[in-house]
Parts: sequence; C-alpha cells; structure tokens
Amino acid sequence: MALALFVFGGFLIIQENLYRMAAGWGSGMQLFAYLDGGLAAAEVEPLLGRVAAYPEVEKARFVSQKEAWESFRKSLGKQSGVIEGLSADALPASFEIALKPTARDPASVAGVARRLRAERGVVQVDYPEEWTEKLSLLLISIEAAKWIFGGVLLIAALFIVGNAAKLAIAARREEIEVMQLVGAPPGAIHLPFIVEGLVQGLAGAVLSLLLLWALLALASAELSYTLGLFSIQQIRFLRPEICAWLLILGCSIGAAGSFFALRRQL
Amino acid sequence: MIQLFDVSKLYPPDHHALIDINLEIAQGEFVFVIGPSGAGKTTLLRLLYRAEDPTAGEVIVNGRNVGRLPVRGVAALRREIGLVFQDFKLLPTMTAIDNVALAAEVVGRSARESRRLARSLLGELGLAGKSGAKPAELSGGEQQRVALARALVNDPVMVLADEPTGSLDSEAAEQTMRLLGAINERGTTVVIASHGAARIGRLSARTVLLDGGRLLEVAPHVQEAAL
Repeated sequence: MALALFVFGGFLIIQENLYRMAAGWGSGMQLFAYLDGGLAAAEVEPLLGRVAAYPEVEKARFVSQKEAWESFRKSLGKQSGVIEGLSADALPASFEIALKPTARDPASVAGVARRLRAERGVVQVDYPEEWTEKLSLLLISIEAAKWIFGGVLLIAALFIVGNAAKLAIAARREEIEVMQLVGAPPGAIHLPFIVEGLVQGLAGAVLSLLLLWALLALASAELSYTLGLFSIQQIRFLRPEICAWLLILGCSIGAAGSFFALRRQL
Repeated sequence: MIQLFDVSKLYPPDHHALIDINLEIAQGEFVFVIGPSGAGKTTLLRLLYRAEDPTAGEVIVNGRNVGRLPVRGVAALRREIGLVFQDFKLLPTMTAIDNVALAAEVVGRSARESRRLARSLLGELGLAGKSGAKPAELSGGEQQRVALARALVNDPVMVLADEPTGSLDSEAAEQTMRLLGAINERGTTVVIASHGAARIGRLSARTVLLDGGRLLEVAPHVQEAAL
C-alpha cells in the first residue's frame, strides 16, 4: 500500500511541479499574431475585438508597423545603423497577446494559436511552440505513467489488503461463527475488519507521504542542480489538498480491500 | 412455531441427509429429535436456524419462511433462537460473563446492561463464582451451563440444542437436561437433537425418530421419556 501510494504520489509531485513550471513560463510568454499587410485599417479593430474576447486572452494589443519598426530599431541600439535605408513598413503589424494565468498551460496556448491562425487577416502566429509542445508531451507521458504504474500498484494494493483481511478473517473465524450464531447483524461482524483495512490504508498513505517528503528534501538540491530549471525552493511538495486526497485514497483502498474479502469469505 | 413441508436436503453428489420431512412443533413443546449417527438430526436443526438451505420444501419458523430470509433476516431470526452445541462454541479468549454478554450486546444492549444480565443468568445457573473464568478453566458441565446462559440471555422463544450432553459426564448431562426442562417450563420451545431421549424430569416430551434422512416416527407426548 505504502509503495503504491509512494509511486502514485511521486508522479503527482513531478506533474504538479511541471504544471507550475509551465504556468511560470506562460506568465512571461506572449503570442504574436502577424497581420496581413493588405488588411484594411477598418478591419483591424473588429479583429482585435474578436481576439480580445477569446476566453483565454487577458490582454491583446495592436502593434502598428511604425511601432514595430521603432521597437526593432531601439532593440538594435548602437547597431541600428544597419537598417538605415530600409522602409519603416518592412515589418508587419501585429497583435501582442497575453493569456490569463489559467490558460498558460501548453494545451491552451496551442489551442489559442490554432484559432488565431484560422482568423482571416492573420498570416503567422509565433510563440515558444517547441518548448510548450515538448512540455505538453512530457505532461501527457507523466499522466499516463502515473495511472499505469500507480494504478497497477494500487490495484495490487487492493488485493494485498484483501489477502490481509482474509488472514484476519481466518484467524478470527471462531469469533465470527459465534457472532453469527447469536444473531449479530452483518454490519457488526464486518465493521471491525473494514476499520482494520481503513487504518492499514491510512497508515500506508501516511508512510508514503513521509517517505516522499523525506526523499524530496534529500534530493531537491541535486534535482535543482541537474535540471537547472528550479531553485531549491521552487521544487514543492504536494499541495495540502492533494495530500488529503492521497490519505482518503489510502483509506478507501484499505476499506474496499477488506470489504471485498469479507464478501468472498463470509 | 416450527413447520417443515416436504423438506429434503441433498449434499452433492448424492448424500440425501433429509428426505421429504413433514413436521410441526408447537409453541412450548419439548421435542427430542433422535436417531443414529448420520440420521439427519443435526441437518434438521441447522435448517431451522438457516445454517443450511433446504434442497426442496419449506421451513417455517415463527411464521417466516427461513429459506427466503435475507442475510439481515437470518440474523434477526437467530436473535429469537437460543443455540446450544455439543462443543459449547464458547470463545476461549473471553471470560464466562463476556461470552454471555456478547450475545446480549449484539442485539443492541449496552455493555453495562449486557453484563448485568449475564451475571444474573450465570448466578441462576449456579455459576456466580465462575463468571470471571475462561472456558479452559471450567469443567465440561460448567461450560455447557455458560453456553445455556448465552442461549437464554436474549429471552429466546425457542432453544435448539445439538447433542448438548454429548461431551458431558452423566451427572453434568443430567443437570443440563434438568436446566433445559426448566427453560421449557417457562414456555420456551426446546428442540434437542440427540442419540436418544433423556430423562427431563416431570415434563412431557415428544420424540421424532429419524433414520437415513427419513422421518420414521413421531411419538406422542410421554411423561419422562426414557433412554
């Protein structure tokens, strides 16, 4: 049980931190939708209104060709002489689009980019596509691994608890028989075994959380060095509500394992 | 009180423990179910408290078709029946008083009330000084009296006893039978499965003779059925 929840919880920690990392990247990230040079000035305003109305969009700003040119020139600084002679309309007008914090995950960013590309008047959309897609793929893989490894181990834990309950039932067979003969309600006979399973599950869950916490504390420095993406403080343990869910999951598996064993045995 | 209609019990593949049994036992009767080993006595008793289901026929106890009772119904039925066994079926880790109180607690009585009832019954059965003893510290006769106290603690309408004197010496056996007779005198139906009818004092008893799973004879009430 502890092992199963340890593996499950481990994947959850990785997943949680990657989501946070993706959101962190997203906060500093903007999408740029470059506009068709032939787009009439009267068409820009409605298009900007439509884009700003996307549920994921926090802010959308029109950047004119002139403004883009000025910005580019400033970014070149002392080297700006290299673009002397070029026309100020060499750069296309664009929209700078910032997303809401809830929509900064890779899947949402990719979805917004897809819709922008489908808009008439948008010729190109740029965003750190490669990274977000890789991250998205990694998150999908971790989600799958969590359910495959964690799920298999949780099912195994269910059987292990069931077998433990079977042994407990065998050890107390005489007592159960007497209880049945004197007319004890089924609930009164089953309850101690269910509670036993529940406590076992809770103990397993607490143990797994303690192990994960200890392991994370020991390895966080190493991880931050290896990944180079987080500071030590940035690698976080599971949120309290996720810990509570893991405890509830442990209790549920313990109780369910005992319940199924009782149904087979009594 | 107890009615069996065309009851048969077959243990696969081909052991017919009971064959077409028809029997009625009225409220307050004292009945011996007698017969040789393998006659079907224990099976008949087990059908009455739904430890077994009949292969055919209907078993009616207190107006309820026992074979159709759900699990909760079986528990409720058993709370109306006191059961006594040859091997006592006492829990070895519990004291005499706890063994008796357990049966009272399962019907919802408080622990305090259950122990009060258990103590009172053990006193009535001459075990006042043994309530703190564990079964291993008691003689066979004393253990059977503890089992009787447990059977009576919920004031059952009937007591079913399967070879209650089978593992007792003659003195303890006689005492147990006298106690069962006294229980019957208070209006409780008593059905005893035994190799032979024993002396039960001044009560009238009826004998039901089984052999090879068939009911051969139902003897009328007799005063002091003899072995």
